[in-house]
Amino acid sequence: MTPKLTVVGRRVVVLAVVVLQLGFIVRGYSSDHKPFAFQMFPESSTWRADVIRVTADGRRIPVERPWAGYRWDELVGEVGLKDPSIRRHADAGLANQLAFLRSALDWVAENTPRDRDTRYLKATVTSWHNADPPRVEVFRSRVREGVR
Amino acid sequence: MSAATARPPAAVRGVLGRFDELLGRPVSMRSLALLRVLVGPIVLLHLRPFLADALAGRIYRDAFYEPYAAWYPELPRAVYIGLLWLAAAATVALSLGLLTRLASAATFAIVAYNLFLSTTHFHNNRAYLVIVLAVLAVAPCGRELSMDAWLRRRRGLPPLDPRAPAWPLWLLRFECAAVYGASGMSKLLDPDWFGGTVPWQRVVQAKAELDAGPLPGWAVSILTDRDFQTGAAKLVVLTELFIACGLWWRGTRYAAVWVAVIFHVSIQASAAVEIFSVLGIAVLVIWAVPSTRDRVLRVDPTDARQRRWRAVVQRLDWLARFRVEPGSRLEVVDRDGTVLHGAPALVLALSRLPLTAWFALPALLLPGVRRARR
Repeated sequence: MTPKLTVVGRRVVVLAVVVLQLGFIVRGYSSDHKPFAFQMFPESSTWRADVIRVTADGRRIPVERPWAGYRWDELVGEVGLKDPSIRRHADAGLANQLAFLRSALDWVAENTPRDRDTRYLKATVTSWHNADPPRVEVFRSRVREGVR
Repeated sequence: MSAATARPPAAVRGVLGRFDELLGRPVSMRSLALLRVLVGPIVLLHLRPFLADALAGRIYRDAFYEPYAAWYPELPRAVYIGLLWLAAAATVALSLGLLTRLASAATFAIVAYNLFLSTTHFHNNRAYLVIVLAVLAVAPCGRELSMDAWLRRRRGLPPLDPRAPAWPLWLLRFECAAVYGASGMSKLLDPDWFGGTVPWQRVVQAKAELDAGPLPGWAVSILTDRDFQTGAAKLVVLTELFIACGLWWRGTRYAAVWVAVIFHVSIQASAAVEIFSVLGIAVLVIWAVPSTRDRVLRVDPTDARQRRWRAVVQRLDWLARFRVEPGSRLEVVDRDGTVLHGAPALVLALSRLPLTAWFALPALLLPGVRRARR
């Protein structure tokens, strides 16, 4: 005879997993990264961006140019943000890709301590959601502390 | 309120009782044991880029990453790298079935920890892998096809019951169907996908690679045709939804598994999906009926050809579908008592072995085999 607690425990675990999974699937329709939503090959959307560093003295320098020993392509890792000026497919959807870009601007601003010139990074993004007309947005990183 | 009035109505109790019986029903864990063996190399494939980076002195936080939550613990570099190697070792033990409970728990814990470290680590195939590892960690899947079982035999101990409560198996079946269902549903609900815009644009975007690839010009021309993609989109959506639903019913299960294999092979050929294809195909073994040795294969031991077939079936019967017995001729007794002889018996046997099933299943539709199975 299985103890009552085991029976109830099984029931709770199974129902919790089912409800959680269904919740993730529903949430996938509104979240950027869609964890556990299993939306595969969701879009044919493409994007490109002019990403620049704005320095304390007002210069606007494309990130394609290395600075203070840093390279954009090395800083952003393997999440589809390399060579941002080239139009490319947003593998996991536009919302996902642009959320990465927004966060990456902040991350780069905060994790380049040898850079004493850049006040903030700015990306002018052109995106094409599937066959829709292009849309232009501007993202800015947080202003870096101590750079005036 | 008295205890009597606080009890749920009889109908609810009945449903709960049946539900509890379904979850607690002892079933064979053979398919999960086989999945455990198959998942080991898949986890190593998954870990390979992380380990390669670690060997090159890089870890996730040397480039852009984004924690899901600020409170999520991050480890010192050396400890993190050590954990990755521990995961690799645990994965090997998991596949071999050595200290299986510990190995499965460690593999799951480390792979899940690594996945949740950063939004940039997240991919659908990795999420699916974590789900599979979670189920293997809670299911007693080391009692067969394992070093643990072999060591028990060597020590003269009786084998552990290979059956266990079914709930982990049902949960993994639900998750497996959810993967196909969620993907198909998201495409069905998106007019751009169901209308063909998304797949058409994707192949047009990849036209330069297609032109440079092995496909002939006329095939590329068809693939990049808008009307073709409008129809193909419906086929893709229906395929995913058919797999998600078809796996649940015995009448459609074999067809769903067969289609799922083609589906994964075509995805693998056309897109970079990391471990998704191999994992998706491996997980299909869980749809085998969770009982073992309930079919009989009889062979004439004096016939060399039949002995060879017996050896093939015995070596490839990883899901333990057959009891092999001596007989006067080659025959298979199916679960329902149907007896098949000769070629139809062979076709049926091969259609129940994981490695040959995909090739043999269509042969079950041949008129001769269908007549023999009636």
